[in-house]
Amino acid sequence: MRKLGIVALGAAAALTLAGCASGGTGGEEGAEIRVWLVGTDTPDEAREYLVDTFEEEHPGSTLVIEEQSWEGLVDRLTTSLSGSDSPDVVEVGNTQASAFTSAGAFLDITEYYDELGGDDLLPGFVEAGSYDDKFYAAPLYSGSRLVFYKKDALAAAGLSVPTTLDDYVANGKALAAANPGKSGIWWPGQDWYNALPFIWENGGEVAVPDGEEWDAQLSSAESVAGLTQVQDVMTNASAAPKDANETGPEVGFCDGTTLQLSAPSWVKWSILAPADAEAPGCPDQEANLGVYALPGKDGGAAQVFAGGSNIGVSAKSAHPDLAVDALKIILSDEFQTIYGKGGLVPAKLSLADTLGTDEVAQAIAAAAGNAKLTPASPKWADVEAAGILQDLFVKIAQGGDVQSLAEAADEEIEAILNS
Amino acid sequence: MTTVDSELEPVPSAVSGERLTAPRPKPAGRPRRRQGGFTPYALLTPALIVLALIVGWPLIQLIITSFQKFGRAQVFGAPPEWVWLENYAKVLTDPVFYGVLSRTLVFAAACVVLTMLVGTLIALMMTRLPKTFRTLLSVGMLLAWAMPALTATVVWGWMFDTAYGVINHVLVNTFGLEEYFQHSWLIDPLSFFFVAGIIIVWGAVPFTAFTLYAGLTQVPDEVLEAAQLDGAGGFQRFRLIIFPYLKPVFLIVTILQVIWDLRVFTQIFALQDIGGIRALTSTLGVYIYQTSIAGGEFGQGGAIAVVTAILLMSISIYYVRQVTKEEEL
Repeated sequence: MRKLGIVALGAAAALTLAGCASGGTGGEEGAEIRVWLVGTDTPDEAREYLVDTFEEEHPGSTLVIEEQSWEGLVDRLTTSLSGSDSPDVVEVGNTQASAFTSAGAFLDITEYYDELGGDDLLPGFVEAGSYDDKFYAAPLYSGSRLVFYKKDALAAAGLSVPTTLDDYVANGKALAAANPGKSGIWWPGQDWYNALPFIWENGGEVAVPDGEEWDAQLSSAESVAGLTQVQDVMTNASAAPKDANETGPEVGFCDGTTLQLSAPSWVKWSILAPADAEAPGCPDQEANLGVYALPGKDGGAAQVFAGGSNIGVSAKSAHPDLAVDALKIILSDEFQTIYGKGGLVPAKLSLADTLGTDEVAQAIAAAAGNAKLTPASPKWADVEAAGILQDLFVKIAQGGDVQSLAEAADEEIEAILNS
Repeated sequence: MTTVDSELEPVPSAVSGERLTAPRPKPAGRPRRRQGGFTPYALLTPALIVLALIVGWPLIQLIITSFQKFGRAQVFGAPPEWVWLENYAKVLTDPVFYGVLSRTLVFAAACVVLTMLVGTLIALMMTRLPKTFRTLLSVGMLLAWAMPALTATVVWGWMFDTAYGVINHVLVNTFGLEEYFQHSWLIDPLSFFFVAGIIIVWGAVPFTAFTLYAGLTQVPDEVLEAAQLDGAGGFQRFRLIIFPYLKPVFLIVTILQVIWDLRVFTQIFALQDIGGIRALTSTLGVYIYQTSIAGGEFGQGGAIAVVTAILLMSISIYYVRQVTKEEEL
């Protein structure tokens, strides 16, 4: 899948060059629309559908997909959207969207709201893409986090799928104890997304609005209880590097050193990628790959981080009409159905059943039903970009004092949110 | 210059019939400015215009931005608010800035010393190597030099990888050092800078070595030979003959290294993504980027950049003066 992605990228680059060569003809004739998709989450089938449909509807024009990485996305969007060579349609993480909608980086698409899906669009994401009662960035998809595990390892340790968060932690530690040197729960230190459910389930918050200001809450008693649990998992259940980031979760899963891990739902496809792919997976593990939604403190599904993306048209797009047309294709039922089949929650509520009915689909539905977002401040993207949470959890993974680390992080977060 | 001057007594020349006079001694005090000095300036103009456009304009923009409250909204066209020295006050009273500054100075100093030392040793070795090995070494160094910093950092990052890195593998399996099993090289700031230092020095040594080697070929052999006959050892010959001959080269290479290492960005930035704690490992270049582009505080980032530029300039001016003094001798 990744290999194809790279081929597509190469083709995209070639097309870009070709576009440059034939540029300067002007007008809508032969226009080129550049679409930035982030990460490998969007399946190749969807990419092809977008390119083919757009070029069919607009003979003479071309659509080029340029794949970006999540790492450093806020920085890159800041510089590229403000430049004269801005991409036309860009994907942005839902928690990052308000940094750009509030700055006027996106075209106001309020008039297309109904045409794009109207009230059928995922409400939380519509909110993330709106600013000052105007609609700037449409939902693209929502991903939820699932726990992937090796069925044989869980069975060998005499454990079953956990029903509460405490069971999950205990299971992870038991697995690690029964398999020295392996991860009962693989958790690299920089991976802060997975820590959010622990904070929320224990009744804590990252930050809450307090009048005009934000009040960071990581050092509250509830949050600290969650963070202490995180430290327990990181130090006693995980053999992952204490300071690594969460890329390449399939590597440890496939070489057998990771027995459980919590990751976005599309990681399933990374794990099951062909063994000879550019980013090889282990398709022989398919029967052994189990999946469940992270359980909550009192049973049921935990409040997990509602990761996902919004997509908008750059305010500096040279061909805004064509860009909006591309956006319409992206939010069409056909395109969104491909997401559903790939294990991502489509942008429209009415397409939820495209996820299917298997184990993964049920886990996704359970997780998505109880998903939650990071603080809704335009400055939140800056907190992410500054790497404050990454640093915090690396230090927690090293066994630092949770209370004092949380207090220091609160101070830094407030400094940014209230600046 | 041989000018005929009637006031001075002509002297006979070796060429038959020619009579020369010594040039008039220069008047004491400031040397006289040459008349009709328009041509040099005309020749400099194109270069100056290009420099003004690609260096001067951004610099002016930077200084303007550093006096404004300039956030992401301003990037997309909102009018900025003038806050004058507020950004500077914020930066200069921020303990984080001084932490970053001292970290940068110490790290850069260590890198410069190490680069110059290793570069000099390799250059000296190259003068003694047989041609085949010298070519081999040159090609190897050229490849290291040609490698983009980002690529180099990613590859070094893999070698030092906690779980799958070759360094840990060799230390554990070949040398039996069990404590390096799953050892994180980046989590401790000192160890982080050790790895970063290796990458930077590795990338900078080829330039130093080539430049110094080129200089070494210009040291007259007979002087060295005479010194050897007089009983000067290897180190003495280097200290008393080679170093004085190459002093300008050493100075220029050192200035360049100081400037490059003080504003190092790529290696640190890429390494922070691989591992380590950002707040404890940021250097000036990375800190400016984090503040302005990632954090959206372009005004404050601009202020840090201006302070950095002034710092770099004051260090460079000292060294440039050393070089010009050297040339006047």
